[in-house]
Amino acid sequence: MSQSLRPYLTAVRHSLEAALTLSNFSSQEVERHNRPEIEVPIQSAELLLQPMHISRNEHEQVLIEPSVNSVRVNIMVKQADEIEQILVHKFTRFLEQRAEAFYILRRVPIKGYSISFLITNKHTESMKNGKLIDFIIEFMEEVDKEISEMKLFLNARARFVAEEYLSEFVY
Amino acid sequence: MSYLNNPAIVMDNGTGLTKLGFAGNDSPSWIFPTAIATSQGSQSTSSSKKLDTSMNMSNTNYSSSTTATGATSTGTGTNKNSYYAKSTSATAFDNLSSNVLLSNNLAGKRGTEDLDFYIGNEALIASQGPSYSLSYPIKHGQIENWDHMERFWENSIFKYLRVEPEDHYFLLTEPPLNPPENREQVAEIFFESFNCAGLYIAVQAVLALAASWTSSKVIDRSLTGTVIDSGDGVTHVIPVAEGYVIGSAIKNIPIAGRDITLFIQSLLRERGEQDTSLKTAERIKQEYCYVCPDIVKEFNKFDRNPEKFAQFVVENKERTSKKIIDIGYERFLAPEIFFNPEIASSDFLTPLPTLVDQTIQACPIDVRKGLYNNIVLSGGSTMFKDFGRRLQRDLKSIVNNRIAQNERLTGTKSTGVDVSVISHRKQRNAVWFGGSLLAQTAEFRGYCHTKQDYEEYGPEIVRNFSLFNMV
Amino acid sequence: MLHLPTNNTLLEATLIELNEAWLNNAPLVVDRIVSDFDHTTLHLLTPDNENRQWVYLSIVLMTWSSLCKCSNEEFLLRYIQSKFDKYNNDSDNSNIIEILPKNQTVQGYNLTLRLDISKLNNQSITDLSLLKTHIMSYPFQLSFQKFNQLSAMEVAPSNDAVSTYRMQYREDENIYIQPSNDRITVIFETIFNDETDKIFSKVFLQEFVDSRKRNRSIQSAPQVLFSNTPPREIINITTNQNKDVDSKFITFVLFPRHFSNDEIQFKTICKLLQFRHYFHYHIKCSKAFMHSRMRFRVNNFIKVLNRAKFDSNDDEENGTSSGQLDDKRRTITGRKLVY
Repeated sequence: MSQSLRPYLTAVRHSLEAALTLSNFSSQEVERHNRPEIEVPIQSAELLLQPMHISRNEHEQVLIEPSVNSVRVNIMVKQADEIEQILVHKFTRFLEQRAEAFYILRRVPIKGYSISFLITNKHTESMKNGKLIDFIIEFMEEVDKEISEMKLFLNARARFVAEEYLSEFVY
Repeated sequence: MSYLNNPAIVMDNGTGLTKLGFAGNDSPSWIFPTAIATSQGSQSTSSSKKLDTSMNMSNTNYSSSTTATGATSTGTGTNKNSYYAKSTSATAFDNLSSNVLLSNNLAGKRGTEDLDFYIGNEALIASQGPSYSLSYPIKHGQIENWDHMERFWENSIFKYLRVEPEDHYFLLTEPPLNPPENREQVAEIFFESFNCAGLYIAVQAVLALAASWTSSKVIDRSLTGTVIDSGDGVTHVIPVAEGYVIGSAIKNIPIAGRDITLFIQSLLRERGEQDTSLKTAERIKQEYCYVCPDIVKEFNKFDRNPEKFAQFVVENKERTSKKIIDIGYERFLAPEIFFNPEIASSDFLTPLPTLVDQTIQACPIDVRKGLYNNIVLSGGSTMFKDFGRRLQRDLKSIVNNRIAQNERLTGTKSTGVDVSVISHRKQRNAVWFGGSLLAQTAEFRGYCHTKQDYEEYGPEIVRNFSLFNMV
Repeated sequence: MLHLPTNNTLLEATLIELNEAWLNNAPLVVDRIVSDFDHTTLHLLTPDNENRQWVYLSIVLMTWSSLCKCSNEEFLLRYIQSKFDKYNNDSDNSNIIEILPKNQTVQGYNLTLRLDISKLNNQSITDLSLLKTHIMSYPFQLSFQKFNQLSAMEVAPSNDAVSTYRMQYREDENIYIQPSNDRITVIFETIFNDETDKIFSKVFLQEFVDSRKRNRSIQSAPQVLFSNTPPREIINITTNQNKDVDSKFITFVLFPRHFSNDEIQFKTICKLLQFRHYFHYHIKCSKAFMHSRMRFRVNNFIKVLNRAKFDSNDDEENGTSSGQLDDKRRTITGRKLVY
């Protein structure tokens, strides 16, 4: 693990710990509605908290947008070249396709980010905060690993396939 | 468009058997078990190497006339019966012993395990060796193991059908009550992995209805009817109204082809016949069984008329020894378990005609007439002679009794209900054939979702397909 | 499966089926379509219900018109017939495999062969299942002949003298074959429609170019070059002036050792004609493998996430109860309702 990854993840962890203090909050606009305030289009300023932006470098950033009853966590996954770009795109889309099983995954990421999570007070009531944060941290670690492994696989496979094809011409 | 002239591909992946072929053909090009044999990683590579060397004609190197034709001809010669054979049984008894496989040449190469697998009959052969394990990716009609299924399709398309998926439209089938998420996953695989040009997913029961249009008994091409689908594993009764399956009324009975085979086997064993293998029982089922109108009369007929007893000769492969097996009452008794289940079981006692009646009675009242009117058979276990006739007679008597009772109680005259069971020549692969019939029409492509649609709207697009309204 | 089969397995299986049915005295009547890569369709038809010994095998290829342009159709037909002449040595008049005259070709097809199903053997069936390869080998054969002519010349011929054969095997995709006095250059022009495929193909193509340099054991394989613009050899004859189409050019340089005798020639042709399918097939396999990986990851993530739930042992209870339910589902012979 490179030098700066550990502090980066620690920063994300602490920020998330700070942000995940949610309480049930009924909508002020519509009677008997209860919606994640961070997602409401016309937001009331008093319900939103200061967003936190953690940046490791220009490719790897996290934006945490807390509100009174919900937190949105947006992650930008490292994409060094067009292969990684397409792999990240494929992977996040694959996850979003299965968002049902992930409870906290947002089906569409916020613009400029690879993937977004939406944690509401319902989630923090049924799940342990610490473990939720563990999940997001583990997710960030694993995604990077997965993308680079897939890239390595692609190269290895391409090499294997090419060599096998050409070796058929060796007489 | 470049793919205008290419025939559409029809794929029917069932629990037991997969049928693959091209729209417009009258029968599937390939029928093989929906089985995949995957390599078990690094353990016991030595044996797989043996397999490699024993048959080292790598799939590709056809060598011209002079030298290696020996290898090629032995290849095609010995496996003539093995994996080319279009088995009609999910358990494929064909000479599996001839372990001639086109070698993958992949054993022991790291990082390529995902290419080292076989499907269909080749999988059954490969799994007899120690280095491959067999699995059936579809359970109860639904795909359970997507990894295996994706590779199964990959091999089906490139090796068996030899098509570039970008050039062809695909018609796939799904069981009734398939969750829409599964459809989305299918679309994900077909559009993202294979880039297929277009996709249509049809419900098997609806295709079986469409297949019945070839019967001369069918006058109007409606998509309303009751489908009795009996394969190897389980028998379903599925009501379909105007192309939509009435899910709440679907019923199934735990009697199907495999049970009939087992029943025959038990009868043979009781009598102490020389050969009571499953294979023999299956052959007897396929070649000698029929449905009789009345068992008591049929017993008498057999007693008066001894020619009704048949004999079945089992030869071993080298034709050196012969075993003669007498076939008796099981000729009509075996299929009888559909109509009188008590002869084989004490748990399940509802006869098929009663169950069909219950199914239709569970449907909305306004479609019931149409459902009684058009009862369509599909699947190998409905192929017994006079199966349809017996079903129609039994069901008619149930319905007539009810009408008579109703008339007695209410005093009003009923207009009557017409019960008709349709059997036709394409019954065995009715689902596939129905697909072939629909996919060869000019309108078919209009009903498909294309790759462009998929990219624009995402996988949820396959949740809906417009129905064929063919007049 | 690493390599795709060269011959058409389905055609082979169907012919075997027909042949066996005939030998078992139960000849079949067929009217079936069989497909192959690159817009190729084969059709088997029993023309006469009474005389089921004869079966028409027709083929339509996208490349046909461009193949005819390589020389002319008559030579091409003669060439194809020559491939099957060795089976027609029987003294009687009726040939086992014979090309029907143009006016009897089945409607919609380029070529119809009349087969005597009763006299086919394993070898002729295998050869018939290679029909497409045999047809498409024609320009290669012409190039080999041309090469022999050119290499026999004392003076190296000027560039104008070399002829290039073009096979249009798909829309916007061509194979160019150019013989010269010391080599034969085969250039594939190919396109990718899918975004992912475009990027994956770059990785693969780069490896095709590099692997020969890196791996000593395949030094003797043809040299592979790759470019996004038409190579010098074919710059004048590329028909595709359409700038929107993002064509890629892959060049294989064949040296005399790759076509030194008939057998090697045929092998080389088979391999080259497989190139596009092989390449596309493996891109698809890679994507399928990535799907497998991603499914595995998703399951892992879900497990981690489920650990966060307060009553996480609920799942296990559910799991066992549904398992029991599964056990209860049995058929009347006591067989479990699972495969």
